[in-house]
Amino acid sequence: MGTFFQVALDGLFNGLLYAVVAAGLSLIWGVMDVINFAHGEFLMIAMYLSYWLGFIWKIDPLLSSLAGGLFVFLVGALTYKLIISHTIGKSAMSALLATFGLSMLLKNVCLNRFSPNFRLLQGTFLGGKTYNFGGLIVPVPQLAIGLVALLLLTLLYALVKRTRLGWAIQATAMDKEAAELMGINTEKIYLLVFGLGGACVGIAGGLLPSYLAVHPEVGGLFSLIAFVCVAMGGFGSIPGALLASLLIGLVEAFAGFYIAPVFKYVAVFGLYLVVVMVRPRGLFGW
Amino acid sequence: MKQRFFGKGLLLVLVSLLMVAALVGTSVADEKVIKIGTLFPLTGPVALAGQRCRAAVETAAEVINNAHPELQVPLAAQEGLLDGYKIVLIHADHQGKPDVAKSEAERLFDQEKVWAIVGSYNSAATKPASFVAELKKQIFMCGCSSSGALTERNFKYFFRMAPTDKTESIEFVHYIEWINETKNAGVKTVGLIYENTEFGKHAAEEGRMAAEAKGFKVVADVAFNPGATNLNSEVQTLKAANPDAVFGACLGGDYTLWVRTMKQMDWLPKVALNYCTGYQDPIIAGQLGEDANYFMGGTGYAPEFAELMPAVAAVEEIYKAKTDPSVPFDSDSIQEAVALFVLAQAIEKAGSLDPTTVAETLHANEWESPLSMGGKVAFAPGGQNIKAMSMLTQLQGGEYKRVFPVDLADTEPVIPMVPWSKR
Amino acid sequence: MKNRKRSVDFLWLGLLAFLALLPLIPGLLRSSFTQHVAIQILLYASMAQAWNILGGYCGQVSFGHSVFFGIGAYGAGMAVVKYGMIPWPGAFIGAVLAAAVAVVISYPCFKLKGHYFAIATFAIVEIFNRLFMVWYWVGGALGLDYSFTDQGWTHFVWYESKRGYYFGVLLLFLLVFGVVRWIERNRLGFYLRAVREGQETAESLGVNSAKVKLMAMALSAFLAALCGAFFAQYNYRVDPPMVMSLDMSMKFVLITILGGLGTFYGPLLGAALLIPLQEYSRAFLGGIGGGVDLIIFGLLIIIVVVYQPRGIMGIIDGIRVKAKRSKEGGE
Repeated sequence: MGTFFQVALDGLFNGLLYAVVAAGLSLIWGVMDVINFAHGEFLMIAMYLSYWLGFIWKIDPLLSSLAGGLFVFLVGALTYKLIISHTIGKSAMSALLATFGLSMLLKNVCLNRFSPNFRLLQGTFLGGKTYNFGGLIVPVPQLAIGLVALLLLTLLYALVKRTRLGWAIQATAMDKEAAELMGINTEKIYLLVFGLGGACVGIAGGLLPSYLAVHPEVGGLFSLIAFVCVAMGGFGSIPGALLASLLIGLVEAFAGFYIAPVFKYVAVFGLYLVVVMVRPRGLFGW
Repeated sequence: MKQRFFGKGLLLVLVSLLMVAALVGTSVADEKVIKIGTLFPLTGPVALAGQRCRAAVETAAEVINNAHPELQVPLAAQEGLLDGYKIVLIHADHQGKPDVAKSEAERLFDQEKVWAIVGSYNSAATKPASFVAELKKQIFMCGCSSSGALTERNFKYFFRMAPTDKTESIEFVHYIEWINETKNAGVKTVGLIYENTEFGKHAAEEGRMAAEAKGFKVVADVAFNPGATNLNSEVQTLKAANPDAVFGACLGGDYTLWVRTMKQMDWLPKVALNYCTGYQDPIIAGQLGEDANYFMGGTGYAPEFAELMPAVAAVEEIYKAKTDPSVPFDSDSIQEAVALFVLAQAIEKAGSLDPTTVAETLHANEWESPLSMGGKVAFAPGGQNIKAMSMLTQLQGGEYKRVFPVDLADTEPVIPMVPWSKR
Repeated sequence: MKNRKRSVDFLWLGLLAFLALLPLIPGLLRSSFTQHVAIQILLYASMAQAWNILGGYCGQVSFGHSVFFGIGAYGAGMAVVKYGMIPWPGAFIGAVLAAAVAVVISYPCFKLKGHYFAIATFAIVEIFNRLFMVWYWVGGALGLDYSFTDQGWTHFVWYESKRGYYFGVLLLFLLVFGVVRWIERNRLGFYLRAVREGQETAESLGVNSAKVKLMAMALSAFLAALCGAFFAQYNYRVDPPMVMSLDMSMKFVLITILGGLGTFYGPLLGAALLIPLQEYSRAFLGGIGGGVDLIIFGLLIIIVVVYQPRGIMGIIDGIRVKAKRSKEGGE
């Protein structure tokens, strides 16, 4: 029975990590109906930044994560300016393909600049610590990421639902032209949303090097899982993305332990298919 | 109709131009050079290993082409081969993809006119690439691809330096029997954890066969997809089955994740034995720090082997200059250097550049190889190096200590592994 | 909208004649690498065209085509490696199976819209990839490796020369492009376009959109699987990451979009641009190691998609319109 709870706990932690990665994607998708294929590479960039800050100046990932958020905010805004803004209003797939090109570009620029080495930070504040609650092991880095995830998602949700900016974002998401008529600068909103989406994944990425090795290919699977989380949660719904991520984390952990580890992603992607068969617009979709 | 025709004509011209532009080839006149192709994964998930392998081949070429009387390596003292032939390397990247490996091997032979290829790290890529070489009756020197299937094809032009995963598996089981007898280790069960690729699957199959042949019970068989975001279920499965010994085949980032996850879950087997994987990578071992200690694995070379292999250190300096000064040879990359050294010796001995003659010479003789453990290389039909040895090492205090076989050992193994809580 | 006159299409016939005679022109296609590039262009053009039936003409952007491609590849691979037969029946069975699988999985998926559909097809690729990785009857992660057999058309392998492969892929090209050409001028083509322009409108005109989409999917999967069988024969090996991967799926989509979505010559133009770029940049820059070839590749994709979303056909149309204006001064 102890194992059951341990597996569930591990699954929840992974789910929270997926949630914070997916949150930014969900926001972007909800507001501008764009899938950012380079989302995992944004994560990778933040991980590299955090790694180098830690490696050169011995800055702990806890602090670097803020820098990661800021940096990827800028990367996101820049991506919007240079690429996404040109694809708005064109075919739905053009943004996806352009960001696919971007992901290829970022991956290989990092390979070129930083070499394909696997890089892991040593002796971080969180690294390697665990709490033991009567046989239930709680790893501290994952716990920290989980808490940050909850905090970020709450902030993001509050921002969208409770602030004037959030209302402007919602208005833009619902009807771009009407929002413009109301005097909302939708261009600015889009830029901000893309930046914010980047910032979320940047903060998550900044925390990761205390237990996950950085290398140019690290983002690949995260992107895919984030897509599935977002789509399963429903068009642009942040609570939906959270719920979907937790479900996916749990299914991954249980399928991995009780069926076989090779089948864990079969179960995850299968779950997505089942959910959208029943609810074609995701759990919280409208 | 007119402008339609114009548009379509334009289209035809464009298509034709693109095709023609694509199809104009170039050829290079040859001098007194022997072109050798290298084919490694320089990009993609295992780019790190591929780039190191390429640097190792470059190192060997440098030693062969120039006079290095200070090195204790065959052909170092003289310049070039066969009275003045120099080796020129042509590098290619197969990105870890078998189809790319096949077409790049063809390009190297047909377009670049290379005389032989050294490669290709991934067993799955080596297979089709060496198939091409065999068809063309050209030599393919394989350093470190470990899948046993490669040398079971009875190819005549294929040679592999490294021990196969079969050899390693048998050695692992020998070692377990030895510690059971001499150290009362009480190992009865074995678990397998491996990446689900050609390499990992093959290693695990050999591991299972070797273990079961000696009466050990395989209680866990854990395959995972490489590039994992977490290995929680994998380690949890191992922990639940609680095998006494684990055979691991996890590469690079997955290896660090595996070790860290075991630490988080506060579980260790009595013995953890690794195939040629992340364990052997000195950088990864360094980054894991203390956590890497007491793991074991088959090792073809580590800087700590200096007294066994005295000739390596000087060669290693050249290698370090080509990659990263802090990175020594590792067990994989050194085999690629051996591959070129052995090939060069065979060319010199055969006194000819006829591939068939050189391949026969390679088979007929035993070669001096100061960069190989044991110092000798000789090939069985099918191309396996029957002198290939690897030692079992254990990381202790961040150093690869030699523990088995006993006659070459310099340290007593720590058995069982020190539990996480006592480190 | 379309010139319905069944005039002799000189462009199409000229192109075929050019491609058929290409190996006979001395000087061209002499080296095996250029032959390889030519074969790749025609193969990827055929793959993209197969995808174009569904993605371009019918407007359903699927990222799952590597699954069908892979089933075809496994059909040929299983016949040759596992049963020691000639590949033809395997390729045919593979293609039929691919079409069947396509219909079964798309029937529920087609009710998904936009990105939900795209992500569902991603998920399907990942599921198939991982299942094939552990399905040991078809070789699992170890894959299927060809051993030596007789050369020639019966076994569909050639070792010394690539000429056989060139004519083989030309036949495939002729089949796939021929089918699409036939569809374009047939009722099905109009139904497909009607569904793309708007399902409700199409239905109101009496088009059974579900049936049309399934037919397009089945046909598209069947042809993609034949391309997969060729791919296996050409590379002497099949394993799941080679054929059933997102990378492979992206190639189907990219080439078509780069050339021009929903156009007849688009897939060929896209392949004729992208494949040489990929092969030559790897040949000249790949050896350096730093992924420079892939950086250029990624950059190119961004530029094309951002600045000319209608692809090369869009550029050509632009030129054509200009020429028309200058010649006639308006309509």
